[in-house]
Amino acid sequence: MHLLRQLRQVNGLRSLRQATRQVATGPTKPATLQYERDPQPLFTDAETQRLLQSMTQLNLDRVFRKRTVPDNSVETKFMTDEQLDSEFQQMVERAKQRLQMPPIVTIKKDEERIIAKDPALKDFASTKYVFTDITFGLRQSERKVVVRETDGTLAYATLETTKRMNQLYFPLEGRQSYNPRMFLLEELFAKCLAEHKYEFVLDRLLVQYEPHEPEFHNISARVFEHLNESKQFDLLRSTRHFGPMAFFYAWHRCIDDLLYDMIRRDYLSNAVELIALSYKIHKVPVEYLPTLAQLDALQITPAQRALAELRSVFRNREENQGIEQEIHTAIGKTEQDFAADEVSLKFIEQYIASEHALKKVQLELAVQTLKEVNREKLLLFQGLKKAHGVQAS
Amino acid sequence: MLPIVRVLYSGLASATRSSRGALHTASVVRCKAEAEATDEKSSEATEGEGDGDQVSSGPDPKDRTKNIPVETSMRYLKSAAYKQTYGEDFVWTQYRRNHKGMFAPRKTRKTCIRQGRIATGNPCPICRDEYLVLDYRNTELLEQFISPHSGDVLSYSQTGLCQKTHFRLMVAVQQARDSGFLTYDVPFREYDYNEYYGQNEKQKA
Repeated sequence: MHLLRQLRQVNGLRSLRQATRQVATGPTKPATLQYERDPQPLFTDAETQRLLQSMTQLNLDRVFRKRTVPDNSVETKFMTDEQLDSEFQQMVERAKQRLQMPPIVTIKKDEERIIAKDPALKDFASTKYVFTDITFGLRQSERKVVVRETDGTLAYATLETTKRMNQLYFPLEGRQSYNPRMFLLEELFAKCLAEHKYEFVLDRLLVQYEPHEPEFHNISARVFEHLNESKQFDLLRSTRHFGPMAFFYAWHRCIDDLLYDMIRRDYLSNAVELIALSYKIHKVPVEYLPTLAQLDALQITPAQRALAELRSVFRNREENQGIEQEIHTAIGKTEQDFAADEVSLKFIEQYIASEHALKKVQLELAVQTLKEVNREKLLLFQGLKKAHGVQAS
Repeated sequence: MLPIVRVLYSGLASATRSSRGALHTASVVRCKAEAEATDEKSSEATEGEGDGDQVSSGPDPKDRTKNIPVETSMRYLKSAAYKQTYGEDFVWTQYRRNHKGMFAPRKTRKTCIRQGRIATGNPCPICRDEYLVLDYRNTELLEQFISPHSGDVLSYSQTGLCQKTHFRLMVAVQQARDSGFLTYDVPFREYDYNEYYGQNEKQKA
């Protein structure tokens, strides 16, 4: 283990650091909604994770959109069907990894932990000494950083110092040693939000701050609040931020706008999952598990759907399936989808009728329109099937 | 004074529409006319200086002492004068460097502007048009110098900017990214859940 000492010109830097700290806590307005108790047990719960992943969906085009990174090269290969299939599977796995949700934890409080008080060392130097353990391969949270004050006290460093030392010796790519102006100045932050740069702001937030920092909670809460007003939820769909956003709304009982958006876009099973999540968080005595089980039986997970979409290149060979496939692509729904819609509509209407829904009229209207569209689609679907004689076979 | 400039402008524009350099001058003159319309006082002052300096009327086209605010530049980039000068191209696409022999020197010139005046016959794309102001708020201009593939600032060997201007461009792009005026692809951060939730929760989940 190497102990490396870091000397600081305290007199010169102290005033400057105090100034930046004041700025850091000052400008960005605090969010109105905060997690009032530890959200971790509910968030890490396996069922919650499954619901959130299902709500996020998996659009491969979106996950693997073209990024402006230094190496953007494309590789072209000849492959057999088996090789291509395994490549598809790997691709879906990689996409899932890209959609890993940032952890939600409580704000960590700074606590003073003194190791030793040595008054004999008082005034041994005019500056503080920071000792950092730079052993290779330690996690950020495991790394020991201690400070010897000028009055001879040896104590564990504050969270801020620890983070700075970590960044100094083991820099995280994309993180700045200073707070970006975007997060510091209220008008710049408001401008970013007004231009709907939600994904960029959140991506940068993940890199810049740790999940247990108050800034992380504050900024993410403000972005989600703004999203709830601008209703541009589709911008975050198929990104790693959708799950935390849905969790945030469910926790703070403001799912109605998101629910309306989901119904309008015909993501009914997602709407059911959102309602179930909010029931789960607030321990509402409504049985949602049977509905979810029914939907699971009828529908496939987003990852499976993405894989099936990729595999559709193989499927053109069987003639009979070809026609059925064509009908499905023309309508956009299969028989099972219609059945699933019926189940989920029942559940959603039950929710709207209950006292938990806040925007009842809006939701009811959306459900009505969706029902009409669905009915027409179903008629067309049945008609097409009859015309092709698929039903008989 | 304004009608004179107009006449001058229209004459220039009609006479030399084919020539690139002359077109550029036309747009500058027209822009100046717009700017002068807004504040009469300062324009008269510059005109006086120009008269002392040059035989022809109108301000000195090589003078770069006047500070153009960014807001004016941002308006200029949206104006018809800009459109007429550059069309749909970037400001640097039509620029060609002057050099002897087949191969251009590896680096561009150090600066185009010395002592407040254009000191060269072929100033770089930013220096030649005084209404192109490099600033972190002027995103429309900055985006023209960023590669859509790698997200980097384009090299001066491609854009032909002089060294000083290129440096100012790099600074402006970094500032713009830091303040959220320009977006970029943030590196992906993978979380180790064990670090935040401990071993037990992971096994349960």
